[in-house]
Amino acid sequence: MWFEDIVLDEKKDLGCFTFTEDAIIAFGRKYDPQPFHVDPQAAKESLYGGLIASGWHTASVWMKLAIESRQNESKSESQSSGALARSGVSPGFENMRWLKPVRPGMTLRYSMTPIEKVDLKSRPELGLIKTLGEAHDEAGTLVFRFVGKGFVARKPKGSMA
Amino acid sequence: MTAPSPLLHFEDFHPGQTFVFGHYAVSREEIVEFAGEFDPQPHHLDDDAGKRSLLGGLAASGWHVCAMAMRMVVDGLIVKAANRGGVGADECRWMKPVRPGDILRVEVEVLETRASTSRSDIGFVHVACRIFNQREQVALLAMTPILARRRA
Repeated sequence: MWFEDIVLDEKKDLGCFTFTEDAIIAFGRKYDPQPFHVDPQAAKESLYGGLIASGWHTASVWMKLAIESRQNESKSESQSSGALARSGVSPGFENMRWLKPVRPGMTLRYSMTPIEKVDLKSRPELGLIKTLGEAHDEAGTLVFRFVGKGFVARKPKGSMA
Repeated sequence: MTAPSPLLHFEDFHPGQTFVFGHYAVSREEIVEFAGEFDPQPHHLDDDAGKRSLLGGLAASGWHVCAMAMRMVVDGLIVKAANRGGVGADECRWMKPVRPGDILRVEVEVLETRASTSRSDIGFVHVACRIFNQREQVALLAMTPILARRRA
């Protein structure tokens, strides 16, 4: 997928992910060992009233599903082009909010929507895409959102691709 | 009389204050393991693919860098604070690639403190969190609010 091919405001469903208690605790023990992420008993007495996923776990699963989605699409696309290898790096993100606790057994549906294309004067071979990432619970309530940024390769000049 | 809590509360944070802590040794195995589970792009898994990418070599997923930063912040600051959980991050910039063998540390600078208008028991401490590598380069800059309990 080249910069030129990306259609703004077209929401892409990235599929679902179910957070198990084991996965929540495993991530928490490694990267976010606050009681409400690692200890079901202590979590009951916390302000959350039970175990919840680390916000970074919720965010990392968005990336996981975004990559899986991209890999499924690009199977039909030629990966031989060296220029496309320049895509897929991000300078950061903005406005990340963990709006609702993510509890064991919850299934979230993730999505991504390109919302802005930015030309890069210093890097004419690339463009910057801003993407709204979201996750909703089974009732359709928004539980997580952020605006990601990603460098995407432009079609090489003179290419018929 | 009970002694005041030794935990850092909202009132203990002041603009300009800086907390310095952390030590995180980044291994190749961990970079590849995290990427395999959450961000399986070639430049996070393979040296040659890393060299061909914008990163110029194998580097950790940015989400992994956030997770490692969180681990250091939990161990170095949150355990000492009357913390009420996180709400997110206003901005995060991945400034330098994080590579196998890097040693990371943290500086948290308090920018602004603001009592909650809707809840009398908490306040927001807005911080800039910088993750440095052993070359004293800022690898990650995050601007984020921390929720802290107010002293009763």
